[in-house]
Amino acid sequence: MIEELKRLVEQAAQEINQAARQHDLMQLKSQYLGKKSAVNGFLQRLVELPTAERPGFGKIVNEAKQKLEALLKSRLETLKDAEYTQELQSERLDLSMPGRRFERGVLHPITQTWRDIEDLFLGLGFQVADGPDVEDEYHNFDALNTPQDHPARDLSDTFYIKDDVLLRTHTSPVQVRVMENTKPPIKIICPGRTYRNDNDATHSPCFHQVEALVVDEGISLADLRDMLNHFAQELFGPEIAVRIRPHFFPFTEPSAEMDMVCPKCLGSGCSLCKETGWLELGGAGIVDPNVFEIVGIDGEKYTGYAFGLGIDRIAMLRFGITDMRLLFGNDVRFLRQFR
Amino acid sequence: MKLSYKWLRNYIDIDLNGKALEHELTFSGIEVEAVEHQGELLEQIIVAEIKSREAHPGSEHLSICQVDNGEEILQVICGAANCAAGSKVALAPVGADLGEFKIKRAKLRGEESYGMLCSEKELGISDNHDGIMILDENFEPGRHLSDYYDKSDVIFDVEITPNRPDLLCITGIARDLSALLHKSLQMPEPVLPAGKGDIRKLLKLENQATDLCTRYTARMIKDVKIGASPQWLKRSLEAVGMRSINNVVDVTNYVMLELGHPLHAFDYKLVAEQTILMRRGQAGERFTDLQNITHDLNAEDLVIADPQKVIALAGVIGAANSQISEETRDIIIESANFLYNSVRRTSKRLSIFTDSAYRFERDMSDEQAELASRRCCELILQTAGGELVSGMLDSYPKPVGTILVTIRPGRVEKVLSVKIAPEQIRRYLESLGLILHKEEAESMEFEIPHYRKDLTREIDLIEEIIRLYGYNNIEQKLQIRKIMNYDIFRNRRQVQDMLVSLGFCEVVNWSFSDPADLDKLRIEEADERRRFVTLKNPLGSSYAIMRPVLLPDILRNVLSNINYGQKSLKLFEMNKVFRQSSGKLAQEDYHLCGVMTGNREQVFWGRKVEDLDFYDIKGVVEDILSVMRLRNWEERNSDERYYQSGTGLDFYLSSVKLASMGKLDGKVCRSYGIEQVCYSFDIYLDAIYRQKRELIPAYQEIAKFPPVLRDLSFVISREFDVSEIRKTILESGGKQISQIVLFDEYKGKNIAAEKRSLTFSLTFSSSKKTLNDDIIAREMHNIIQNLEKKYRIELR
Repeated sequence: MIEELKRLVEQAAQEINQAARQHDLMQLKSQYLGKKSAVNGFLQRLVELPTAERPGFGKIVNEAKQKLEALLKSRLETLKDAEYTQELQSERLDLSMPGRRFERGVLHPITQTWRDIEDLFLGLGFQVADGPDVEDEYHNFDALNTPQDHPARDLSDTFYIKDDVLLRTHTSPVQVRVMENTKPPIKIICPGRTYRNDNDATHSPCFHQVEALVVDEGISLADLRDMLNHFAQELFGPEIAVRIRPHFFPFTEPSAEMDMVCPKCLGSGCSLCKETGWLELGGAGIVDPNVFEIVGIDGEKYTGYAFGLGIDRIAMLRFGITDMRLLFGNDVRFLRQFR
Repeated sequence: MKLSYKWLRNYIDIDLNGKALEHELTFSGIEVEAVEHQGELLEQIIVAEIKSREAHPGSEHLSICQVDNGEEILQVICGAANCAAGSKVALAPVGADLGEFKIKRAKLRGEESYGMLCSEKELGISDNHDGIMILDENFEPGRHLSDYYDKSDVIFDVEITPNRPDLLCITGIARDLSALLHKSLQMPEPVLPAGKGDIRKLLKLENQATDLCTRYTARMIKDVKIGASPQWLKRSLEAVGMRSINNVVDVTNYVMLELGHPLHAFDYKLVAEQTILMRRGQAGERFTDLQNITHDLNAEDLVIADPQKVIALAGVIGAANSQISEETRDIIIESANFLYNSVRRTSKRLSIFTDSAYRFERDMSDEQAELASRRCCELILQTAGGELVSGMLDSYPKPVGTILVTIRPGRVEKVLSVKIAPEQIRRYLESLGLILHKEEAESMEFEIPHYRKDLTREIDLIEEIIRLYGYNNIEQKLQIRKIMNYDIFRNRRQVQDMLVSLGFCEVVNWSFSDPADLDKLRIEEADERRRFVTLKNPLGSSYAIMRPVLLPDILRNVLSNINYGQKSLKLFEMNKVFRQSSGKLAQEDYHLCGVMTGNREQVFWGRKVEDLDFYDIKGVVEDILSVMRLRNWEERNSDERYYQSGTGLDFYLSSVKLASMGKLDGKVCRSYGIEQVCYSFDIYLDAIYRQKRELIPAYQEIAKFPPVLRDLSFVISREFDVSEIRKTILESGGKQISQIVLFDEYKGKNIAAEKRSLTFSLTFSSSKKTLNDDIIAREMHNIIQNLEKKYRIELR
């Protein structure tokens, strides 16, 4: 019987090793190891043997089963590997075809610049303050120490809603509103939409401005210069220096206009900066004591600086946009360039 | 480290309850991790006398005892072998609460029992559980055990920061508390008898590794009687979880816990050639510790040895070959100090973590060694008798000098912004054991006590001052002003960013508008939006008002882009709209308006080109509203007349309109010159920000058991809306339905014209159990039945 079993196992082993498909292996498995298989048949024939030989032979049958199982398993792995190798060969991708994308939109370049400025100041401990676009004359002019007969109040410069209600001409009234309600120390920026009665190739009647205000003990022109330099360098690059020169604003004293090194030519002179090497960036100064008095801040104890810049202008400089009208044209071929 | 309140009170007179002391410790920088109240149990336990003991008829192990509780005779069943008539025992009467269980009247194998006789372990007196506790025969039945055993104590488990090894002992904590609570401190001042003989004739020290062993002292006591420790000593150690071994070893442990300095005792007889060496280990040398574990040594290790063998791993663990045993008569007390990083390296490398190593590796004080030795000998003489040998051997190659640190009151104020007078600074520092050395106009120089190695700089002293002053007694600066609303600020950006991800381009238009735009949009005369904010000096009639809606500008943007050949557009603008208000200025609100037209997706190879439809834009609006953290909004047919009739939706929350969306009416589009189908939405941002919303989503537990999915497909009359059908499914499906997703809608071939086929995918899940097929089948049956009843559906 042992010989018989041995022959059976040899035959099975040969068939298993020649099986070409997984399906064939499955059939062989049931044929040789299934319930009614020949190998199992040997177990049933144990009774034919003398009692003493039964355990020994039982063991031999089980070993045969284990051997066949191992063979089946290894053959199965071999077949799977072969199948996979074939699969690999038949799968050939043209890797040069473009990826299938979902159209990504874009934030308007003004918004992108606006956010960059906000983030820069948020990181420096500033908060972002907001105020109404439709403003009263008091906050837009009076509280900012602007005399009644100042030319900026003219209809040709300012949009009016009523006699004493107007569209804010700068975001400075937000500063006034914050100072009215908040004790120093104050560190804010006020980005927002501003309006002036001007409409030509270089002026939009709606535009965007950001102003910064710092009020605390010991704030000086030195702090202002530090901040202006940092601001310009963060937005335009480490080479960009800022200079300030005397100017006049009713709400700051001393007042200054600030220029930065032209980011295009880095100061050597080009068409953008009209060969001067400098670009005007905005206005700045030390908060006028009169403004503090109007909003009820002790101007002896506290000092402050403020400065303001045009967001649109910064956006144009950063992205190299030459025509202001593109900003409000909302042509998607233009917008998608800034993705 | 465990700290016994009772023990603590030997050194400092404090009368605080556990909570108060915990607070004081925590705010002085000693974090309390756990508080354990010991001994409360004993107040419930009664002294009783066993009058008789009989075998329990039903059990070999149990006996029936009649016990006298001082008032009456009670029957108590006891399982201990040592219960015997005549013994005084500890009885937990019916009703006593032993923490883990409560004593109740019970029947044990048919016999009544009125209480329990307790073991020492059950009473929390010791770990002894071999039988019941047998009490002193003089104890009086009926008295509470607490009258005899004062076990009441509060044990604090405290965490000592690594910079403060001086606090790794009870007197260290007492010293800090005395400074904190202005209480006087009684430090042990051990006094030794003159002693007899001369230690120099009995023992020799050889320090061969002065770099690693910075000090080594030895004292000797002859003729000690090794035995059990007295109760007070046992109790002190056990209270903080340390096992009692014998009177000498216990004293060394006691002094370590008391003064923080680990000590070791050797059996003099077992030290060969009467010589103790401090030397580095040698390659190949082996050492078997007290636990009988053998270690390989190297030259990094500092060992204590006699000329023949290693008798201890310095500061880490002793050896069995020289340990105190019952036969010991003469002992050597080692009180030494070892370089902290050497101890640390050895302890880590060999994985031997002992209380001793824990302390030495935190850099102990050389100076403390002598005091600890003196205290140790004093207590051994008390508890184990014997005779002190005169003198002390002391290898102290480089005695520490005086450490001086200068502090400037001006600097204190600068760092802490509190003005603390120089006298007060002096009081604070002196209470911590610092000694004023020199005082000048602007500064003071202090001598630092040897146990405070952490104080080396002015700033270290400033920290001590503020610790005692109280961190929270510093007046908080009020300099940070709340000006902006970060939630809104962030959320606006999130919404914008999401729209960009969904393919939208942001547009920015001027704020001026033409009143005729409202006519084009068919906005009624009475509409609020017609309360224009009108400019006195506009640029022209098309710019006469501040815009009350954003849509016209975006439609103009759509037209101009279509004219440039861009026919698939997704545009949005987030900006203010204006209207007259009752106040002086205008009502200004941020809106978010968007228009979609053309293809659903960017055209790509292998992707079907499809037109946008209503549900695409509805999905966008749903996304926006959920990014804005709005939940459970209500949808109604829109009252906006610029949507094609029957294709507009308004979104409400508690009857406030928050958004609208729909398919733009073709004529409206044409009035803006647009000939293709457009969809638009208008989200009232500020109105939504005024609603109460859950700004931070709260985590919901994820179902532990696998969800079960079932599809449900049926044909139904078109008169019923999906929202209604969903509701019916939800209501009839039981609590286990966690999700209902509309999977497919089909109209057309094989379905009657007035009907449609809907497929829902239902998810059932439970946090309590795995849902079996029976439960699901029941729920599905219910759902189908209800749908059939309500809508006459036909299952597919």
